[in-house]
Amino acid sequence: MHETNAFRPTRKSLMKTDPALFSALVAVWLSFAIFIFLPVIRLLITTFYVDGTFSLANMRKVLGTSYNIKALYGSLILATSVSIAGTFLGYIFALAVTRTALPRPLKVLLGAVTILPLISPPFTSSISLTLALGPNGMLLKALGIGDFSIYGFLGTWISETLTYFPVAFMVISAILNTMSATLDDAALSLGASRWRMFTTITIPLSLPGIGNSILLLFGASLADFATPLILGGHTFPVLPTEAYLMITGMFDLRGGATLSFLLLVPALLVFFLQRMLLGKKSFVSVTGKNGARTEFAKLPTALSVFICAVCLFIVVFILYLYAIILWGSFVKVWSVNNTFTLEHYAYVFKHGQKAISDTLLIAFLSTVIGSVLAVVIGYVAQRKQFFGKRFFEFTSMLNYALPGTVVGIAYIIAFNQKPILLTGTLSILVAAYVFRYYATGIRSVIASLEQIDPALEEASMSLGASSVRTFTHVTIPLIIPAVLAGMRYLFIHCMTAISATIFLVSVRWTLLTTRILESMTELQFSQASAFSMVLIVIVFLADALMLYLLKVTTSKFHKPQEISYEKVGA
Amino acid sequence: MKKSALELREVTKIFQKGREVVRAVDTVNLTVEQGELVTFLGPSGCGKTTTLRMVAGFELPTGGSITIQGKDMTNTPVNKREIGFVFQNYALFPHMSVFNNVAYGLKSRGEKDAEIRPKVIEALKLVGLQNTENRYPSQLSGGEQQRVALARVIVMEPNLLLMDEPLSNLDAKLRLHMRTEIRKIQKKLGITCLYVTHDQSEALTMADRIVVMNKGKVEQIGTPFEIYSNPQSLFVADFIGHANIVKLEIASLSQESITAKIPGGTSFTAKALKPDVYSATEVLYHVGKSAALIVRPESIQVGAAQEGEGIFPATVVSSIFVGSHIEYELLLKNNATIHASVPFSTGMEIYGEEASVSLTFDEQNSAFLPA
Repeated sequence: MHETNAFRPTRKSLMKTDPALFSALVAVWLSFAIFIFLPVIRLLITTFYVDGTFSLANMRKVLGTSYNIKALYGSLILATSVSIAGTFLGYIFALAVTRTALPRPLKVLLGAVTILPLISPPFTSSISLTLALGPNGMLLKALGIGDFSIYGFLGTWISETLTYFPVAFMVISAILNTMSATLDDAALSLGASRWRMFTTITIPLSLPGIGNSILLLFGASLADFATPLILGGHTFPVLPTEAYLMITGMFDLRGGATLSFLLLVPALLVFFLQRMLLGKKSFVSVTGKNGARTEFAKLPTALSVFICAVCLFIVVFILYLYAIILWGSFVKVWSVNNTFTLEHYAYVFKHGQKAISDTLLIAFLSTVIGSVLAVVIGYVAQRKQFFGKRFFEFTSMLNYALPGTVVGIAYIIAFNQKPILLTGTLSILVAAYVFRYYATGIRSVIASLEQIDPALEEASMSLGASSVRTFTHVTIPLIIPAVLAGMRYLFIHCMTAISATIFLVSVRWTLLTTRILESMTELQFSQASAFSMVLIVIVFLADALMLYLLKVTTSKFHKPQEISYEKVGA
Repeated sequence: MKKSALELREVTKIFQKGREVVRAVDTVNLTVEQGELVTFLGPSGCGKTTTLRMVAGFELPTGGSITIQGKDMTNTPVNKREIGFVFQNYALFPHMSVFNNVAYGLKSRGEKDAEIRPKVIEALKLVGLQNTENRYPSQLSGGEQQRVALARVIVMEPNLLLMDEPLSNLDAKLRLHMRTEIRKIQKKLGITCLYVTHDQSEALTMADRIVVMNKGKVEQIGTPFEIYSNPQSLFVADFIGHANIVKLEIASLSQESITAKIPGGTSFTAKALKPDVYSATEVLYHVGKSAALIVRPESIQVGAAQEGEGIFPATVVSSIFVGSHIEYELLLKNNATIHASVPFSTGMEIYGEEASVSLTFDEQNSAFLPA
């Protein structure tokens, strides 16, 4: 018998055994250090370091103001309400699509309508809600309600729920679709009623999806900045807007940093909970082989009717809101002078041209750089073994897990001084987008690599190809669809997101979303609508192009793959 | 001196799974001669695939050395070893045509297009797949994909052909056909081949030599005939051909043979196997203690109950007529279960349940191993 330690693997340095991996890791860690660690550490220092020592003075000062306490409370209440209402709506929509006898075209319509909020700038529903239910609101006038204010908790809640329920819909319908239909058959054949089948099979098996959706929506709402800024008003403060106002209004960077730290704690908590939830293999996905593919059993009639009624109402309401924006962009002064005009579009193309070209350039650069990083990080994380891998994965997702406001504030603190002075540059905007939204790309690359047998790469190596050649000739062509899917979301985010970048825009570089915000704060609703329409059309066209590319690349040998859309950043 | 195609010296692989240390491959020694086809046979998790992957270079051994064509390749990366590896699931590149799959290695090597084309065509012809160059793997049947995988490897004229359960994804009939096909091609090219399988009949029919592995260790190396007729351990006896293993008390022993007591009867003598070449019979066996009698189902005769030297009285538990044979399950007097497979001929008596019978074991095809 040999001693065990006689066979201990001789640990050769990674630099020698896999120089390509070594240099990739060095480059990625370096970028993490600058764009992820540095900002967060600076944020913590600004919050907890006063006059060279650790201090809770900032915290005490911020928490000493009752208005800030109210904002913390408001953020948590709002996030809870949105996550519950949004998940409920998402579940209803998912059931309608997967478990009712609704005709196919209507199901397609449901799916299409839920895409709208995902590709729209975050203000869209706020703007249209203001136009419909705000002062001079169209719906208010039509219904003859005089004394009503959309501003406050109610408006924010409705708007965010409408914005984020599509995420719940995607997560839950994915899980409802992967359930084995034979389970339904088994329940019914054992004498269960449709109600019993629904309550004892369908609901329990979809619990992981519900849990995940609640966490996702909680995080999204907690981080949402645009909606409360427009609809929250003075009666309903939340943390992200308070932090923003403290920095841009009162130039109190320490106060803003401290407020955003308060936001960081629940956000990280949600992130960890979600990772735990997803870490456990869902028992739905391991049902093994399906025999003959059977249809899911339909829901009880009463429930079906209720579900379809709710869906119909929501779909009509969403379409109504979008119609309002479209209409609003073509009238002189909303609700006061409803004559048709193109002057707002003329304004957008004349004075908003820079914003459009800046936004496109930034989104394009971020998408390209983000995708390259996502491929490298996803590949390394899925295929390679190295020291500190879990920490590596965690770090790569950190900016994504943090609310945009926190990232934005951390970035201005970190990069407005030497050695890395980036304030006002293109790079800071691109970096903010890249390290926040490449996460979807990383996930889709990892998911795709999990589907690809490592034997393919081994086959390439055993045929004499180098590891670089294997990567470029075998791995890359096989994960192209996943990369495109990641790019698609990256681009949408870069076009529509605002919470982080609102702190980083400058005279030199501006964004469409900030122009919309400016128009809103100047009460130029029609102008805001026109900007929104332009943005929606650009995103829609780009999205269509990406989908087309996806289709082309998947045609020959790839199975069509749906990349789950796990989190919408605000 | 002639170089061996492959030499494994004390090759060991230890995996660390958390706190658990797994010796996946434990001090394996093997020499493979030029042109030989050697199969690695064993149950799943016995280390046969890990051994093959170490020869390929996908895994690096924790200890020991691997020499290919006289060159030490223990730590050589896989793409520098000039080996050919055929995967269980073929691992054809789904985004490349059959031609590009087969040409892949030649292109990596930097050969010119003009040289590549005839080689690819020739390799495809060899595996019987003319005129499929422009098709994609997904358009081929499982058997055809397997052939492409083989062509992709042999076109490289590798030092060693390594095959990891290449037939396990095919249906039974195709599997039989591909066995002979692979063997034919391997002999024609004179290529040295390591072949991993868990299917004993595959190993027996294809191999020049078989390496039986269990729990990371080599149990026995030998020709199919040696492995079958002279199993060196109970594991090998049981794994190859499902021999009956009956524990009997030793009555007397000599250098070559053992005489053991038959439960409720006389005695039976057969050769004594010595798994450890250095040990004498007296060290391995002791009078009064038990030894394991190894006897194959087809080496047993079932007859009407009678007395006599070397006869095992037994009771029939079940008898199944399977056409060419009758499969008996029998119970000896010491409650040991025996399976017998008796060739059927017309007019032969088939004993039913509970019938008392006497069994005669073919002494030439029976042997004792230490229990």
